[in-house]
Amino acid sequence: MRLLDHDEPIDPEIAASLDAIDAVLAGEPVDAQYAELAELALLLTAERPPVPPAFVQTMDKRVSRRFATPHVAAVPGQPRRRRLSTGFWEAAGALSAGVALIVGIVIVAGTLHSNGSSDASSTASVASAGSGEALSTTSASAEPTTRASAGASAPAVTASHGSARSPSSAFKSAASVPSTSSAAAASSSGAQTLQPPTTGRKVVQSAQLQLGAPPNRIDDVAQQVYDVIGSVNGIVENSTVTQTGGPDGSADFQLSVPSASLGQAMSQLSSLNYASVLSRTDASTDITDTYGAAQRALADARALRTSLLKQLANAVTTEQVDSLNAQIHDAEASISSDEATLARLNHEVGFSQLSLQISARNAPAPVAPKSGGFGIGRAAHDAGRVLTVAAGVALIAIAGLTPVALVAALLWWVGAAVRRRRREQALDSA
Amino acid sequence: MDHAPGRSEGVTVTMNASVAPTETSSWDRFESLYRSSRDDVYAYVCTLLRDPGAAEDVTALAFERAYRRRRTFDRRRGEERAWLFGIARNAALDELRRRRRVATLVSEPTDVEPVGDEDGPEVALRRTAVQAAMASLPPREREIVALKFHAGLSNAELARVLGVSESNAGTLLYRTMEKLRKACNATA
Repeated sequence: MRLLDHDEPIDPEIAASLDAIDAVLAGEPVDAQYAELAELALLLTAERPPVPPAFVQTMDKRVSRRFATPHVAAVPGQPRRRRLSTGFWEAAGALSAGVALIVGIVIVAGTLHSNGSSDASSTASVASAGSGEALSTTSASAEPTTRASAGASAPAVTASHGSARSPSSAFKSAASVPSTSSAAAASSSGAQTLQPPTTGRKVVQSAQLQLGAPPNRIDDVAQQVYDVIGSVNGIVENSTVTQTGGPDGSADFQLSVPSASLGQAMSQLSSLNYASVLSRTDASTDITDTYGAAQRALADARALRTSLLKQLANAVTTEQVDSLNAQIHDAEASISSDEATLARLNHEVGFSQLSLQISARNAPAPVAPKSGGFGIGRAAHDAGRVLTVAAGVALIAIAGLTPVALVAALLWWVGAAVRRRRREQALDSA
Repeated sequence: MDHAPGRSEGVTVTMNASVAPTETSSWDRFESLYRSSRDDVYAYVCTLLRDPGAAEDVTALAFERAYRRRRTFDRRRGEERAWLFGIARNAALDELRRRRRVATLVSEPTDVEPVGDEDGPEVALRRTAVQAAMASLPPREREIVALKFHAGLSNAELARVLGVSESNAGTLLYRTMEKLRKACNATA
């Protein structure tokens, strides 16, 4: 017989018969037309197998012990099949979660290590620029925003300067807040600067750096910039420092740094106290061809002048002398121009242009640890890192366990369906 | 014939002390379920398997499983009795599957209850006819009889255990009764 698996309205006659059966089982009288059905129901009830008293006693004891003895009712003629306890599955689940956790930690740790323990993420692009090649790298980092504004009660202080070499005392007098520390000490934790290969090549490098600092720390950071530039024998070509104590405080610097020290300067500037890197751009242009062309033009001009001087020595007429003098004058002008070009190119190669902007941001800037000190800021920073790593590990674990869980659920569903089908087949063939 | 359907009663169970309130509550519910359903489950399983010894084991296994899973019971999916009989049904069908694999037990003879004649020869004759008709029923229909008349399930509970709608369960029961009635009349 096939079980009906869909609902349908029940026939009134069938419903009446079922009601009669229920009534007779409840001890109520039934209509005479259902007498035969009622008698059959009572006969069937009378065929109910009695429960053996010994079994009742055994069961009562087991229930009173709450099935304390790990006992699976033995099936006659069959060795008891070992069942996997709930503890096994719990242990298996915990083991799987542990493995996923370890894998997540390894992956996250590897990712952090490959980033050089820096918050900055970098993208790089290479593009042709005229006769040279340009390499541009931009890096930026997000910073947390949890600290409140320091207020805007401080008076506005503005300092502007033209070109000057090294952080002179004049800058310090303009920026009334004293320098807090040597930024060079924090260079080890700064972002790494890209260094294009320069062996045998003439490369012009430049960089842009945008820093964020608390409104009341603009002067501090600016002073550190001067210190850093001085330490690398750089030039502050132009600077404007405005401190209002409010969000409109800012500082702009046009700096010229010896190219050999650009990496060091960028590292130090990227890890100034109270400042955080908002964006950073490193650019380089290969001018080897341009430089070589200028050198050849200079050599040609010099050769021409030498030749003209020899011709002038042999000149016999006034017209020849005048003409040669004019040509020599032009050649010397060309030589001067070519020498100036070479000098400019040499300066561009030897000194890199660095544009630095500091803007006020109401956010906690990471304070570089001084001699390994531990404070609230450091603790908060570390706690943030721990939470970030924990969230990453959790995300990776979820990503790893989700497909496993889906497969397990599918297998469980298929297994349950197969088991249900086999049970029904066993009933059909019983 | 005014034989009322027998039901489990008079079961006393020793309670363990020092258990949490939630544990006590779930245990009380299980104990109540056991007390009210023990004999019914046994009767159902015994009718289905036609083997009292195996019925004892399967009944014990069903209650143990129900005890282990008592916290997973969801009242929104049906009453506890239907849930318990679902567990018992699965255990019984597993036993039938096992029997099918064990060839030596397939032909195990079933015990035949001797029909007494204390109610008179006519009643004894009718009981014999009912027993013969029951024996001729396919397993699925015998299961319906067992659930309805030996376990005392309502039509709704019967439908829940069989996994069909209540109207379908009623129709199946009606058809089975008609088949039994015809078989009894043919025997008479």
